[in-house]
Amino acid sequence: MSAYRFDKLKILVVDDNVHMRKLVVTILQAFGVVHIFEAESGERAWAVLRESNPDVVVLDWMMEGLSGLDVVQMIRSDPQTPNPFVPVIMLTGHTSIDRVRQARDAGINEFIAKPVSVKIMMSRLMSVIENPRPFVRTKSYFGPCRRRRGNPEYRGPERRTEKTAIAAE
Amino acid sequence: MSRQQPIELFMPPNMLKAKVGGSFVGLDMAAINRAEAAMEELKSQFADWAQDDVRRLVAARDAFAAEPGSTTRAGLLRAAHDMKGQAATFNYPLIAQVAGSLSHLIHDLPETAELSLGLVDAHVNAIHVIYRDKVMDMSNKVALALSKELEARVAEALGG
Repeated sequence: MSAYRFDKLKILVVDDNVHMRKLVVTILQAFGVVHIFEAESGERAWAVLRESNPDVVVLDWMMEGLSGLDVVQMIRSDPQTPNPFVPVIMLTGHTSIDRVRQARDAGINEFIAKPVSVKIMMSRLMSVIENPRPFVRTKSYFGPCRRRRGNPEYRGPERRTEKTAIAAE
Repeated sequence: MSRQQPIELFMPPNMLKAKVGGSFVGLDMAAINRAEAAMEELKSQFADWAQDDVRRLVAARDAFAAEPGSTTRAGLLRAAHDMKGQAATFNYPLIAQVAGSLSHLIHDLPETAELSLGLVDAHVNAIHVIYRDKVMDMSNKVALALSKELEARVAEALGG
């Protein structure tokens, strides 16, 4: 038995590919997650998100219409977002470091590169439960701190330019 | 300048942890084994995924051939990219490799540069053959050589 009550969680799975969506749902169900919502597009994801207010979002990147990046930016910054802090795990075929940075700069919490692996899915889920990142608000960004470790007590000037921020991470 | 930009860093309450309770006791191997078994079972039920994806890729290729432009090119990129992720997950690593090469070509080629239909077709045909012959591992030397050749042609097209 899991020490966690995954059955208490509500998770939204967003992927325009039905096979990939079913695969992720199947894995989550095997973990013990009961309340799973599905969306096949970014537009539908936004509607479901506002109706169901999930605890975690597993989000595909590349979709027609609203992309995963668009959705995560809406989650973080749209005035109608039900929860700007909801953890977002991005699941994508993109594997380059530039793409990981792009996703992180949009406000995701965790990144999973396909192929989908059960262990990685579990470890990312545990990471958002056990090691949530502090949130940061700057003039140009709102979302999880893009550094792995941040000082939650920090109040003060931004010490990095956009370029140095990327280089540092 | 940047040093003067205000920054606010704060830790929202961990509602997730409060909800699931419990404490970290390492990876739950029972849940992982259960999920892996369920995933394998599902994969066997999804024998048609590749057929669907090949069909979708061919349709995207046909749309691009009929009317080359940013919309049809984006559709082709989505189809190739999806196939890359799916094929890797559903045990077709060579299809993933070729689809990855195609998405690399489309993504990295400047919008203003012409996307070679011949090179697109070479990828689509290779994927067709790998799927038709059900090459599900990396040991097929001909398919591997074809994949490497396509990657080289893409590097050439991208000026690499």
